[in-house]
Amino acid sequence: MPTARSSPELSRPEVARALADVGHLLRFRRATLRRPRAVGLALAGLGAVTLAAAVLPALLVPGDELDRFVRPALAAVVLVAVIGAIAAGGGRELLARDPASVLPISPVTDHLGALLLAPLSAGWLIQAWGLLGLVSAVAGPGGTPVALAWLVAVTALAQAVGWAGEQLRRRGTLAWLSAPLAGLGLLPAPLVADAIGAGPPTLVFAVLALLGATALLVAAGGVLAVATARLVPRDEARRETATYAPRPLPASDLALLRRTDRASVWRSVPLRRGTALLALAPGSVALAGALAWSSLVLLPGLVASGCVLLFGVNLWCLDGRGMLWRESLPVAPRTVLLARALVLAEVLLGAGTATLILGAIRAGRPTTAELLAVVLALLVVVAQSLSAALRWSHAHPYAVDLRSARATPAPPLAMVGYSLRLAVATTLSGLLLAGFAGVGRADLVALSAALLLAVSAVRIVRAARRWSDPVRRAAVVAVVAA
Amino acid sequence: MRSPVGAVIDVAGLQVRFGTVDAVAGVDLRVEAGQALALLGRNGAGKSTTMRVLAGVVPPTRGRAVVAGHDVRTDPLPAKRVVGYCPDVGGLVPRATPWEHLQLSARLRRLDGWEPRARALLEQFDLGDVAHRVTAGFSHGMGRRLSVVLAALHEPEVLLLDEPFDGVDPLGVEATVTVVEDARARGAAVLVSTHLRDLAVQACSEVAVLRGGVRVATVSADHMAGDEGARAYRALLA
Repeated sequence: MPTARSSPELSRPEVARALADVGHLLRFRRATLRRPRAVGLALAGLGAVTLAAAVLPALLVPGDELDRFVRPALAAVVLVAVIGAIAAGGGRELLARDPASVLPISPVTDHLGALLLAPLSAGWLIQAWGLLGLVSAVAGPGGTPVALAWLVAVTALAQAVGWAGEQLRRRGTLAWLSAPLAGLGLLPAPLVADAIGAGPPTLVFAVLALLGATALLVAAGGVLAVATARLVPRDEARRETATYAPRPLPASDLALLRRTDRASVWRSVPLRRGTALLALAPGSVALAGALAWSSLVLLPGLVASGCVLLFGVNLWCLDGRGMLWRESLPVAPRTVLLARALVLAEVLLGAGTATLILGAIRAGRPTTAELLAVVLALLVVVAQSLSAALRWSHAHPYAVDLRSARATPAPPLAMVGYSLRLAVATTLSGLLLAGFAGVGRADLVALSAALLLAVSAVRIVRAARRWSDPVRRAAVVAVVAA
Repeated sequence: MRSPVGAVIDVAGLQVRFGTVDAVAGVDLRVEAGQALALLGRNGAGKSTTMRVLAGVVPPTRGRAVVAGHDVRTDPLPAKRVVGYCPDVGGLVPRATPWEHLQLSARLRRLDGWEPRARALLEQFDLGDVAHRVTAGFSHGMGRRLSVVLAALHEPEVLLLDEPFDGVDPLGVEATVTVVEDARARGAAVLVSTHLRDLAVQACSEVAVLRGGVRVATVSADHMAGDEGARAYRALLA
């Protein structure tokens, strides 16, 4: 590629420097951790779950009937990783854009950092644990190295495709046109699936081939990252210079606060993109797979868990440094909180409803219990997500600027913790409602939903009470506006 | 109830503690109607924290902070209604336009017929052309100027300007000084925190110097002017 030949960033000394810089940035991140012990425990926990996923199924689960799932599981890992990478606009940053802007961080360093951080997402981890468990059950621990090599290669592929998509986006073309590059991962999936069940020589060859492919994909990603870094991020530039016609004042303080907060969501590149993806992607999969109503019950939880991670876990970061000024305005804290909570609820309900509408198209005619379970599941997971968002936003605020498409409302490991906790809570709730709907007990569906809603309501009220404490509020403002 | 007669801003024994750090360790201040007081001091002297207490953003740990007769701790909403606050950093909601900021302030303060004044202020601060553009793309100076506009919109009884001149061009500085003069003329109390001694002297009638979270001196602005004022100021900081 011409870019590679003409780019000083891709010369051998610069690449070596980029590698060293990744180390420096990782050490900086480690030194600036707020709760290093908690982070250590979290990483150890993730490692333990990964080890368990790779070992226990071989001992506990008979894999005879499961080998037919290996091929689709390998392909699913590719699709999820690639879609996520294209939406993420280059993936996570080792150092946020503003502080990084004054440092000589090369695009290759940025690329390698994004690669390292890619596994720190609930989507990646759940897929990885699923694949490791499946391979362990089917082929025993011997298949694990191949599964791990596959995960590494797919992550490198997704990152490279992510850069290709971002480059298209910055050139004014649809980023999703890069999605067919996922075929580079889908094509060898059957071969890898066959290798997993084969003897040691084939396993070794498969691992070496995948690691070789990884090296090539990492290099290709680096080249694409360098080329992308030369282009202006169009979406962000357009949003930051956008003008909006004035609108008349609404009837109440709450309505105006809600309008302001709503604008903060829909005028942000990552929030628009993330919400649209979460509203359409799971529903499209449900539509394509003609999921039954019993499975649709689980989708609102998946969508709400994802949406709340866009900004809900750090709700006050929508104001950025403007929070100092907003806090000086004469309005009751509960009104401010209510407006923010309503906007989050709107996003969650909207995305969940879009998903269910898409899924319902081919799901057939539901029973009364199934329909009730789906509707109540949506309400329950929205309430659970809202309660979690309010609690976490107060307990662990972060100074985050959501201008960049790559920005996330909390550090990567915190995001993993949030998403896993939410995913467990919402999935269990969905399973409970689906179970009662499956046996035709609409009364138990309604009762269990009412109990779950009551628990969330109590937690929301408690969070609102905490927000009315000026000392706690000042602590949040100090962090968010820092 | 209103504090000592004439004092629109009355701060006594103010302490603010963040964890183990005393950001403000016993500040006393009095600013009367029509008076502008400059707060000078090194970084970390407690200027911005004092401002934040008066703006109702940070609750005091100890002591009294009263604005226009309203205790900021016990009477926060009425206190916020009479205060106009320009924070030291940012101060703008990134994805809202200047006009939307003004609408929010006007609505929450129940202002009627505020639009002509808002337009005039935007023009005065050379922000008329960007009134409907989101502030995320604003330069630092533009952001500072808009923060002063927002603080001044409702003609507050108490005007708190924290680093209003930071990174602002000469025309913006002139407009800010005019805002301070107008506020004094209508009887407001003005508190200006800045590192720019010359501008503090130009905009204010008195200067208070903070050091280590306490006030170490209050002198007339004339005493802080020129080379002699610079020497006196350095001596107070040492």
